[in-house]
Amino acid sequence: MNEEKLIQAAKQLGASAAERLDVEATARKVLERLREQPAPRTVWTRTMWLRIAAAVVLVVGGVFAVARVTPERGSGAHHPDLIADELRDLSTDDLRTLLTSFDQIIDESVVPDSTADLPELDTQALRELLKEG
Amino acid sequence: MAQPLPLEAPDTALIAAWRDGDEQAAAALVARHARALARFLSGAGAPEAELDDLVQETFIRAFRSVDRFRGQCQFRTWLMTIGGNVLKDFGRRSSRRQVMPLDDAVRDVGGDPHEHAEATEAEARIAEGLKKLPRMQREVFLLRAQQGLEYEEIAAALATSPGAARVHYHHAVRRLKEIIA
Repeated sequence: MNEEKLIQAAKQLGASAAERLDVEATARKVLERLREQPAPRTVWTRTMWLRIAAAVVLVVGGVFAVARVTPERGSGAHHPDLIADELRDLSTDDLRTLLTSFDQIIDESVVPDSTADLPELDTQALRELLKEG
Repeated sequence: MAQPLPLEAPDTALIAAWRDGDEQAAAALVARHARALARFLSGAGAPEAELDDLVQETFIRAFRSVDRFRGQCQFRTWLMTIGGNVLKDFGRRSSRRQVMPLDDAVRDVGGDPHEHAEATEAEARIAEGLKKLPRMQREVFLLRAQQGLEYEEIAAALATSPGAARVHYHHAVRRLKEIIA
């Protein structure tokens, strides 16, 4: 079957069924159904509000649950001012020992070059270096 | 009270009148487009026993959502896209109830042997072939071949591009030829 015949046959498709359709009766029934069945707008709106409410409950519940299981922020962290105060109490030798121990922990590549001359640094310079670290 | 619209009033005027609550305008739109819609639905696989209900349902959905019709295509074309959705929902309900799957709908056109005899062999073969096409191809083919619409119009109705509509049509024709051969 070529395309032309295909189109001709397609044009006839459903023609007899459509001819049998009682158009006036269909129009009458459509109007009756439109009058009888109110537009589902209220149903739609109610459904949407229910969904929105459910979503809000889920989000609030989720946030609450996360807040419960997550440790309070900052409880394990040290405030920078406190660290500075603690450093002020250390002697030059203490600071030097502390920096040396850092060297052992931290990879050499991330330690500033200035730590290579630690013995030459005075107390103030060592404090500054530790604060930067 | 507003004057009744003449029967030959354009669709846009009838739609505007229906928006203002004129039921006669809605009746005029049904009278104007029901048969074309029935042909489209029938071609897309609607069983004849359900055709009247499906046509009604399509018009009801269209009238209720008429605010969404922005004149992007003809009212009739828009109606057919709604009809496609109505038919899809019907097929889904039918398969859930396991009464009659949509695929069998074309084969059984209501149980009247006379109706079977009326369908030409070519129509029956095309109807059979159309069942095997994806929905987009089937609808583009029907809108083009059965309803004689331009690709631009089809594309506007189906929210695609004219080029894509053309491709769907050619795929449909090629597959129909293969199936029917």
